[in-house]
Amino acid sequence: MQSQDKYRIALLSAYAIAIHSFENLLPTPIPWLRLGIANIITLATLVLYGFRAAMMVTLIRVILSSIFIGTFLGPGFIMSFGGGVTSTFAIGVVFSLFPRLFGPVGLSLIGALFHNMAQLFLAYVMFVQKIEPILIVSPILILLGTITGIVNGVIAGMLIKSITKDKKSSS
Amino acid sequence: MRLKELTEGTTIADKLLLAALIIISVSGFIFIKKAFPQGTDVIIEVNGKQQYKLPLNTDITVSVKGVIGDTLIEIKNRKVRIKESPCPNKICIHNGWTDKGAIICLPNRVMVNIGGSVGIDSQREDKPRKTIDAITG
Repeated sequence: MQSQDKYRIALLSAYAIAIHSFENLLPTPIPWLRLGIANIITLATLVLYGFRAAMMVTLIRVILSSIFIGTFLGPGFIMSFGGGVTSTFAIGVVFSLFPRLFGPVGLSLIGALFHNMAQLFLAYVMFVQKIEPILIVSPILILLGTITGIVNGVIAGMLIKSITKDKKSSS
Repeated sequence: MRLKELTEGTTIADKLLLAALIIISVSGFIFIKKAFPQGTDVIIEVNGKQQYKLPLNTDITVSVKGVIGDTLIEIKNRKVRIKESPCPNKICIHNGWTDKGAIICLPNRVMVNIGGSVGIDSQREDKPRKTIDAITG
């Protein structure tokens, strides 16, 4: 890993942690409903700097922001960790297999879907242990995830475009 | 910012994925609502022994053998009533249609209990409430 990559990862992680922690302060109508705006950073990192960097940023964000918020190693952390890693892994695999097939919005939707599925699975294993409530909640979660996924994808697309423009003009 | 700028960079696969996700979630929502209706059970006991456990959302008429005769219990439109009873005062029949609590016919020792819900509700409430609406003599 080059030192330039390290700086990038550090900077992007800092942004992601700031967004993640800020988002945690926002009140939401349902306690477990999150906008997932920190995933914008993950997505932009993946498209611009590749899978390794994106996974690093996700891991750093989830672990450090949970320490800041005070949920480290708690159930919320496990949910956040599982969701973050799974969704980053999913979009990473899709992006490296078919780099041109999906735009940022599509990748964001995949990320949101896998995030929700991982969290539903973890919720099933850790708390509920009944399949009916999970099945009842999952379509709602997928729909909400789709809506937030579009918003995040559009923002990520704008971010990616402006960063690539900057790079071109500076070099 | 114009809409075209926002949708710039989205591919056909993006749109297909979006459509698929919306279809899956909406149809899943409808399917699950049908598969797991907010089910409440009707439990019919005679002399303290459970005879029937029926879902409230299925229309059915059942006959149970009580101490002094047969009681006919009808479930219709998510409501329960005692249709026929051999008891002298017929208070249980006059109790009419109900969708919560219980109907008890004391002479025939028949108790119709509505509650003991299945699905999500059973987690929220650890103990189903057992309120008695009417004791009939």
